[in-house]
Amino acid sequence: MIHLKVTNLHKRFGGNHVLNGVNFEVNGPELIGLIGPNGAGKTTLTNILDGAIKPTSGTVYLGEDRIDQLPPYQVALAGLGRTFQVTRSFRRMTVLENLFVPALAMGNTHGRKELMEKAMSVLEFLTIDHLRNEFAQALSGGQQKLLELGRLLMLNPDVIILDEPFAGVHPRLMEVIYAYIRRVNDEGKAIIIISHQMDSIFSLSQRLLVLNFGDLIADGPPEDVKNDPAVIEAYLGAEEGEDAA
Amino acid sequence: MRKQIPNIAGGLFLIFLLIFPLIYGRADYDYIMHILITGFFYAILAASWSMLSGYAGQFSFGHMGFMAIGAYTTGLFCHYIYISPEPTGLCWETGFFGQWLVVVNPIGVTSTTLTQDCLRQALAGWGGGVEVTSMPVPLGILLGTIMGGIAGFLIGMLVLRLRAAYLALFTLGFSEILKATISAEIDITRGQAGLELPPLYPNGVTWFGSYFEPTDKIPPYYTMLALLIVCLLILTWLARSKFGLFVRALREDQDAAAALGVNTVRYKVLVFTITCAMAAAAGAVQGHYVQIITPNMLFLLQMSLVVAMAVIGGIENFVAAAIGAILLQVALELLRNSFVIGGIEVDMTIWRLVFFGILLMVTLRFFRNGLIAPVIHYFRREGVAEETVAKRATLTGPGGGPHRAEAPD
Amino acid sequence: MLFWGVIVWMIVWGVAGSILIKRRYLARDLDTSNANFVGAMAGASLGPVGIAALWTKTPKSSNFLIVGLGLLTVLLVAVTFSFADPENICVTSGGFVASQFVNGLIIGIIYGFMALGLSLIFSILGVVSFAHGEFYMIGGMLVYFITAVWIPGVPPLLAVMGACAIAFVIGAVFERLMLTPMYHGKIDRPVEYGILVTFGLAFTLQYFVQALAGANPVKAQRFLSFPRWSWPEGADPVWIKTSRGSMTLFEQVSISSPRFTAAITCILVLLALLYLLHRTWTGKALRAVSQDREAAAIAGINPDRMNMLAFALGGMIAALAGALLVQAFSWLPQVGAIPAMRSFVIVVLGGLGSLPGAFVGGIMVGLVEAAGTGCVPDPQKAASYIPAYGMIVLTLTLLLRPTGMFGRRFASGAHGQF
Repeated sequence: MIHLKVTNLHKRFGGNHVLNGVNFEVNGPELIGLIGPNGAGKTTLTNILDGAIKPTSGTVYLGEDRIDQLPPYQVALAGLGRTFQVTRSFRRMTVLENLFVPALAMGNTHGRKELMEKAMSVLEFLTIDHLRNEFAQALSGGQQKLLELGRLLMLNPDVIILDEPFAGVHPRLMEVIYAYIRRVNDEGKAIIIISHQMDSIFSLSQRLLVLNFGDLIADGPPEDVKNDPAVIEAYLGAEEGEDAA
Repeated sequence: MRKQIPNIAGGLFLIFLLIFPLIYGRADYDYIMHILITGFFYAILAASWSMLSGYAGQFSFGHMGFMAIGAYTTGLFCHYIYISPEPTGLCWETGFFGQWLVVVNPIGVTSTTLTQDCLRQALAGWGGGVEVTSMPVPLGILLGTIMGGIAGFLIGMLVLRLRAAYLALFTLGFSEILKATISAEIDITRGQAGLELPPLYPNGVTWFGSYFEPTDKIPPYYTMLALLIVCLLILTWLARSKFGLFVRALREDQDAAAALGVNTVRYKVLVFTITCAMAAAAGAVQGHYVQIITPNMLFLLQMSLVVAMAVIGGIENFVAAAIGAILLQVALELLRNSFVIGGIEVDMTIWRLVFFGILLMVTLRFFRNGLIAPVIHYFRREGVAEETVAKRATLTGPGGGPHRAEAPD
Repeated sequence: MLFWGVIVWMIVWGVAGSILIKRRYLARDLDTSNANFVGAMAGASLGPVGIAALWTKTPKSSNFLIVGLGLLTVLLVAVTFSFADPENICVTSGGFVASQFVNGLIIGIIYGFMALGLSLIFSILGVVSFAHGEFYMIGGMLVYFITAVWIPGVPPLLAVMGACAIAFVIGAVFERLMLTPMYHGKIDRPVEYGILVTFGLAFTLQYFVQALAGANPVKAQRFLSFPRWSWPEGADPVWIKTSRGSMTLFEQVSISSPRFTAAITCILVLLALLYLLHRTWTGKALRAVSQDREAAAIAGINPDRMNMLAFALGGMIAALAGALLVQAFSWLPQVGAIPAMRSFVIVVLGGLGSLPGAFVGGIMVGLVEAAGTGCVPDPQKAASYIPAYGMIVLTLTLLLRPTGMFGRRFASGAHGQF
């Protein structure tokens, strides 16, 4: 049973309070959207969950393990994977090699054959199997996003954080990503999606978290959040012109 | 089939190197052998440097420093430590399996013969009745390799946060500090005068029934070649294992590699340790071969020679870097002959280096993967593009083909 | 013994201070970027008392505090030194100290000037030019050949200007031919490419000059001979007295003519550079590019031209330093290595890419070198260690505070990350 528990998370950079006591829990294979205006602290929260930065105070538990003080690679091995806002594929490695990195880091004990089969099935699902021996830098931006998702499948974490998975993606590729998210969710993994594309977020997620200036101002089903006065104020009052749905 | 061409060519080149000393019989035998031994030495340095810089992306300018650590470790070890059956009563010494381990006191470079180190004094006192044993050379080389590895480990730990220009400057600083220290501590290292080392095989060696003098070129030739082959085998094994995959991921994107579960700290330190130990081993063997080491081998220009060889061979392929080093070393030596055109004497000992520098820049500018690596690559990756196209033709999914013209966002 | 004891004491408390004060500032939510340094200096100069005072009051780390504590530390080292070695000439002779100080300052200005070129290149292109020493070398070589071989009797000023012009052209041509591909993402690791290709240039230039000029040391005539003059007449001591080759202040401080002319020229050119950077469109464009490439490009500045200008200017600055110093030192094709290393030290100390940092760093290095050569007993060993001192400063700065004294963090990308 997946259980991610974030308790009273604070982060300060110098005198700048980026996160002000964020609390939430993820129980089971939930599909969660994390939204908020620019500067709300979404990326900081992701980086703390991932282990890239340490919180000033507060704890993060994944199951029984406390992960907020672990380095990123241990967080990944503990079962929390993420993608980056700007695609970060290993540009001068082939598509297959990109997939082998997380698989081998997980301590894959199976033979090369199984590894290859697994990688090929992931690539086929993502419709980029014909590119398996191309260098990642030869792929288009959208294909590189798919490759990043493929790497997460190879890592096989319990909790997946997708940072802007729809940004700058062709509508046709978008469907592949939708399918990916639903399939991974059906396989029993919790997914947290950070996005500015409200349509996608509202249609996909079962639960929404709203951050504003470091505070978690709403947490609930999309319909409730949509009508929450605090959320409306955050989007319409503070950040006019934001692409709110 | 064609994919095997680089392997076949490499095998033939290796066989040629293996039998060359046996079939070559010209008068300049020793000279040619010396060039090749030095070529192998540079090949080890270039190959290990290309693993560090090309594979792992850690541009270090301190590689010669680790080489010097290896050379000076074995040099000082063989120079200052002896085993004597009798206590000297003058030196610092300790019991050692019924014998005495003697550490000679440093006396530095003295112009007069009045000052003698304590062991010489003791030997003079014994009047030839006692034989002291010097330390075995292989042990010195082993120690040098280990010291190089330790130094690499420490430097690797220190530079975890530094990247690109900052890393280059830091490693350069390390190398310069080492050079200054070796030059300044004349008492111990003998400074610019140079530290003398025993030959690789102090008592000669008998291989397959033939005896070789310590000055013969064949034993060091095969020793250095064997070291080169061992290093290349280790590097190949590493590159094909997950180590190679991880350090390349590290080079491409450290944060992404960490987010995918790669212990970036461990692999970064590990790649420093391994490649620096290789450089140190090469330095130790070369030190025993030329029998004298000076801090001048730490000059930046020596480093630039290694860098240039690796770059011209192919910085991301250590086999290509090694072959490039051997070929360039031979070419540089063959170009030494000065000639006269129209009454102007062209001093090729200098001009060849000018051409070398220009070749380095041109290679960097126009042949980014070096001159040898692309040839290997050409055969190895044959068919990839065709495969992609063929597969795409059968596919109508949203993935589409690789949009090479499209800029990745 | 006393000296080393005090040094160890200072280091121990300095380390303690840097760790403790950083923690304190973090806990108090204050800006921590200078906390390390302030803590270290407080610990080193005042020991536990200083740390305790800083701990209880935790004032904002102002420039005043930083400079004050830094100076106090230096002063303390000097005082300890004078107690430890009362016979040393640096303690007994005030005139010697003044002379060393003035000469250190003068040479420091030249060092800083040369490092400025390196910093200019880094701030615009993001490349550490490994050919900086070679530009210095060709500057001096050209002046020697112009004045002594090609056109004997030419005024030195013209020769210096000619050398600068040639160095500028070499820099510009090299930049166009070799560095252009690294700006547009065509190269995977532009910073490393820049280092390697300037490395190649250094190699080529050095051997090219050696092939043409030979390996014998050369030296140019001094550019300017002072008139014999003293002022005020008959005073004791005479305030200023000049002979042909040098100038003496208060009969104590002697400044040689080559160093004097070099320092004055450097200051004048520096002022001209400041004018260029702050008052002309080109200079503003240069600074804009160093702040933000893309934004500058949108504002109608062609960053590629600025790259060329910066690299050529940086090379020219090094060449000018060489052109001015060829009258003071003998010149070889290998002469650039030590100034290049020193420039690396200075720009890292001052902060990579910071122009004022380079200049202040240069003066500091000049003073420290003067103190090191003049005051340290066992001068032979001290001389051998001089390159190492600089490099120790460099490595420590990179480890503890990679931004140096005045540096800023460059975004990743062209400038590389830490």
